[in-house]
Amino acid sequence: MRIDAIDVGLKIAGAIVRPLVYLTLCLPAAIVVVTSFTAGESLRFPPEGFSLRWYQAAINSEPFMDSLWASTKLAFIATILSLAIGLASSFAIDRFRFRGREAFRTLTLSPLVVPMVVLGLGLLQFLSWMQLNQTFAGLLIGHVLITLPYVVRTLTASLVLFDRTLEQAAMNLRAPPWRILWRITLPLIGPALVSASVFAFVTSFGNITLSIFLGFAGETTLPVQIFTYVEHSYDPILAAVSTIVILVTLIVIAIVEKLVGMETVA
Amino acid sequence: MQQAKVPPLGKRAAENRLLLGLLLAPAAIFLFVFLVVPMFGLFRASFYEGNQPLGGVGFSLQHYEKFLLDGYYLSVLAETIGFGLASAFVSLVIGFPVGYSLARLPPEKRRWRLIAVILPLTLSLVVVVFGWLVVLGRNGLLNSLLIGFGLIDRPHQLLFNRTAVLVVLVQQFLPFMILSVMSVVAQINPVLEQAAANLRANRFTTFRRVVLPLAMPGILSGLTLVFILTASAFITPRLIGGPRIQMIGSLIYQQVLTILNWPFAAAMAFILLIITLAVTWVANATLAVRLDSEKSGHAN
Repeated sequence: MRIDAIDVGLKIAGAIVRPLVYLTLCLPAAIVVVTSFTAGESLRFPPEGFSLRWYQAAINSEPFMDSLWASTKLAFIATILSLAIGLASSFAIDRFRFRGREAFRTLTLSPLVVPMVVLGLGLLQFLSWMQLNQTFAGLLIGHVLITLPYVVRTLTASLVLFDRTLEQAAMNLRAPPWRILWRITLPLIGPALVSASVFAFVTSFGNITLSIFLGFAGETTLPVQIFTYVEHSYDPILAAVSTIVILVTLIVIAIVEKLVGMETVA
Repeated sequence: MQQAKVPPLGKRAAENRLLLGLLLAPAAIFLFVFLVVPMFGLFRASFYEGNQPLGGVGFSLQHYEKFLLDGYYLSVLAETIGFGLASAFVSLVIGFPVGYSLARLPPEKRRWRLIAVILPLTLSLVVVVFGWLVVLGRNGLLNSLLIGFGLIDRPHQLLFNRTAVLVVLVQQFLPFMILSVMSVVAQINPVLEQAAANLRANRFTTFRRVVLPLAMPGILSGLTLVFILTASAFITPRLIGGPRIQMIGSLIYQQVLTILNWPFAAAMAFILLIITLAVTWVANATLAVRLDSEKSGHAN
C-alpha cells in the first residue's frame, strides 16, 4: 500500500471529529447531572460543593411532582393505545394486499413528516372546536398521533422478516388462530414490540412541542413545566428535575439494550 | 381430512375482508379524525378574515399577504431557511464520518457509541436545551474553561447569538443524520471499497466515486430530516437565541399562545408546511434523477 497525503489527512480528521461528536452529544446531559448535586444557590459550573438539597426541593415541589406523575401516566396510556392501533395496522400492511395499502402506510407514518408546530396548531384548533382543548383526552390524542409512526415503522420492519412457515406449521397441527397468535406470532415479534413501546414511551414522555400547544394549567407535563420554569427563573432545582428525566430515559434505554439490543432500534 | 376443514372459498374471502376491515379501522378512523380533518381545518383557518383565535368567518388572503409582503416576516423566513440549510450541511459534514465508522465497527465496539447517539434523540428536548444553557451560561462550563485557560479574563455572553443557536440545533438533530448514514453504509459491501483501493484509488477517490453515490439515499434523507426539524424548531431559538433571533416556529408559537391571532398562525404554519414538502420533493426528485442516470449509464 502506498502512503497518500489525502489518506493520512482524512484519517486524522476522522480521528479528531468522531470523539468530539460523541462528547458533544452527551455533554448537555452530563453537565445537567453534575450541576444538580451542587450545594450552592445558583447554577454554575463547576458546582459549589456536593449536596442533595435540590433533589429534596424537587421532591417537595408540588408542581414538578404533579407534572412528573402526569407525564408518566400520559406516556403509559399513549403507549398502550398506540401499540394496539399500531399492531393492528402493521398486521394489515404486512399480511394483506389491498387497494390503498401504500397510501395507508404513508398515512400512518405521516405525523413524522408534518412539522410538530403545524401538527400542534392544527390539533389545538380542532380540539377547541370539539371542546376537548385543555383536557387530558386532548393531550392523549396528540401523543398517540406522534407515537404511532414509530410503532408502525418498527413493527412492519419486524413482520417483514417474520418466518411465516412457523405459523403454517402450527396451523397444520390444528392450533386455533388465537393460540397461534399468542404462542407463535407475538413471541416472535416480541423484541420489536419491546423497542416499539419503549420508543413510544420516551417520545411521549419527553415531548415538549406538541404538549405546549395542547397542555393546560391544571395538568401540565413535566417538559412543559420545565420550559415554563426556565423562561423566568433559573436555579439548580431545574437541574435536579432534569436529572430525574435523564434517569427515566436511561432506565428505559437500558431495558431495551438488555432485552433486545440497541441495534434493533437504530 | 385437511380438505374437509377448509371452509368454502367465498366465505373465507368474506371473513378475510372482515378481518382486514377490523385491523384497518382503528388507525384509519383515528388518523382521519385527528390528523386529516385538523389539517384541512387549519388550511381553512388560514383564509379567515380577522385576527381572532376561534370562530373566524369569510375568506381572505390577508394573512398570506401580511406575511409575504412584510420585510420583517420575510427576513424571519430567510433566517429559518438559512438555519435549516446550515444545520443540515454541518450535520452532514460531521455526521458522515461518525455514521460511516459506526456502520463498519464490530458490534461490541458499536454498542456504547450507539447509545451515545441515541440518548440525545430520546431525551426531552427541553432538558437538552437546559443543559446547553448551563454549558454556555455566564457561570457555565465554557466560560469557566476559557477563564481557566487564561483566554478571557471575565465571563462573556455566549448565549443569544446565531452561532449558539446553530450549535444547539446541530447537536439535537445530528443523531438523525448519523443513523441515516449508518443504515445505508451498512448495506454497502466493503469489498467494493477494497476493489477501489486495489485499483490504487486513495480514500478520497474511493469515497467520492464509490461510497458517496451508494450512500446518497441516506445522505439525502438525513439532510431532509435535519432541515425539516430545524426549520420547525421553536424551543431552541426561544431559549438559546433570545428575543433577537426569530424563526418561523417561534412566531407561530407567539401568535397562537400570546397574541392569539390564530388565522395568521395558520397561514404561517402552511407556509412552513409547503417549504418542508418542497424540500422533501426536491430530495426525492434528485434521488430519482440519479437512479435514472445510473440505469441509463449501465445500458450504454
